[in-house]
Amino acid sequence: MAPLVPSQEELQRRRIIGINAETVTNIPSTDFPGHWPGESHAWALDQFKDNFKVEYHRNDPYEASFSLIGLDAAVANAFRRILMAEIPTLAIEYVFIQNNTSVIQDEVLASRLGLIPLKGSVEGINWMHWFRKPSEDDDGPAPPGPSDFNTVVMHLVAECTKNPAAAADETDPRKLYHNAHVYAKDITFSPVGRQEQYFSGEGTIQPVNPDILIAKMRPGQKIDLEMHCIKGIGADHAKFSPVATASYRLMPDIKIERPIIGNDAKKFAKCFPKGVIALEPVTAEEAGRKGSGYEGHAGEQKAVVRDAFNDTVSRECLRHEEFQGKVKLGRIRDHFIFNVESTGQFESDVLFLEAVKVLKLKCARWKRGLTDLMA
Amino acid sequence: MSREAYQVPSMGGQSGFGNEGGFSSMAVDSPSVVYLCGECSARVPLKRGDQIRCKDCGHRVLYKERTKRMVQFEAR
Repeated sequence: MAPLVPSQEELQRRRIIGINAETVTNIPSTDFPGHWPGESHAWALDQFKDNFKVEYHRNDPYEASFSLIGLDAAVANAFRRILMAEIPTLAIEYVFIQNNTSVIQDEVLASRLGLIPLKGSVEGINWMHWFRKPSEDDDGPAPPGPSDFNTVVMHLVAECTKNPAAAADETDPRKLYHNAHVYAKDITFSPVGRQEQYFSGEGTIQPVNPDILIAKMRPGQKIDLEMHCIKGIGADHAKFSPVATASYRLMPDIKIERPIIGNDAKKFAKCFPKGVIALEPVTAEEAGRKGSGYEGHAGEQKAVVRDAFNDTVSRECLRHEEFQGKVKLGRIRDHFIFNVESTGQFESDVLFLEAVKVLKLKCARWKRGLTDLMA
Repeated sequence: MSREAYQVPSMGGQSGFGNEGGFSSMAVDSPSVVYLCGECSARVPLKRGDQIRCKDCGHRVLYKERTKRMVQFEAR
């Protein structure tokens, strides 16, 4: 028996997650074999290729927003998690403090330095290898120490002194003293070996945000330290995460099921963010149609959904008596609106491609594991 | 059960418990250590047996200087 094929309307209905005043319905996806009697739903690559869509809403170097339409939540979530935790970046890992007489304690200072996002030539960062840490339980040969291909050396040397040129009644410590505030821009990069070629000019390793305040000092205080940056992943420590935020939300879906007209329409529009609901005059044709609910309202304003994308799904409209049964809120199950905000080392859209690459590698590794299992 | 009596460790024949006579004889060759005044942040070199007092302001609270050695931290 050939499998049953559900109608387009039925498929569309299954895509919507219902959002009611107190409950959320129809949450899990059902497009897998064995759920709907007689229907196939076997996963097929060409079918996926036909249905899958990517739409870019915004693509700035440090913030990208795009929609992935037609994939399962598991895959979308895998991308999100990989973005946060498994794409390697460079961060300060070891701090060698020669002198620190500022009020901020050594370990706190080291922790602050570690969290500073760095940037450098992407080519160079991709060229770099992992730094193998010496294992805590002493077995096996000690890994090779820091080299030009696994460690980036940076220095921070600052001493606070009085500024003799300052006005007598000056109260701003930044003018009264030299180096009263130590910023991320005071960190200097000391290239070693081949790093000279990879990280030169524009691609030199530097903090993404030069104005991060690291410490405040007063005359006579001094900071003199060396930092070793290594590659790591966000799963190890958040400082290695290449994204500030990587999140997705489902596309909101608003259905006006019965006409909302006149003052009600204005109130209805106010229940949503600007631009989501528009007001349009009722046409004579609509008013003439029997049972449309518009009879005798020609020329009055009616509420229409203009752009559900910007809706926050606050459910405000469900609180009001006059809209009861007239509107149905929902979300589209397989329309994921991603928002990826890079910390600055990579561009946001490149980050997503990296995430795809990582997932591919993981799949290949798993496949290899399976063949080993069979052998 | 006889136990050996506890021997006070001796330093060059002198008693470990410093009496003034012991100090003064050592003060000649003992190195001076620099301290920081708690009041005026002046550097105060002190030798063994010196009065604990800032030479500039007479304040009696002195602090040790930070170690000159490198200290390593993990930035975590």
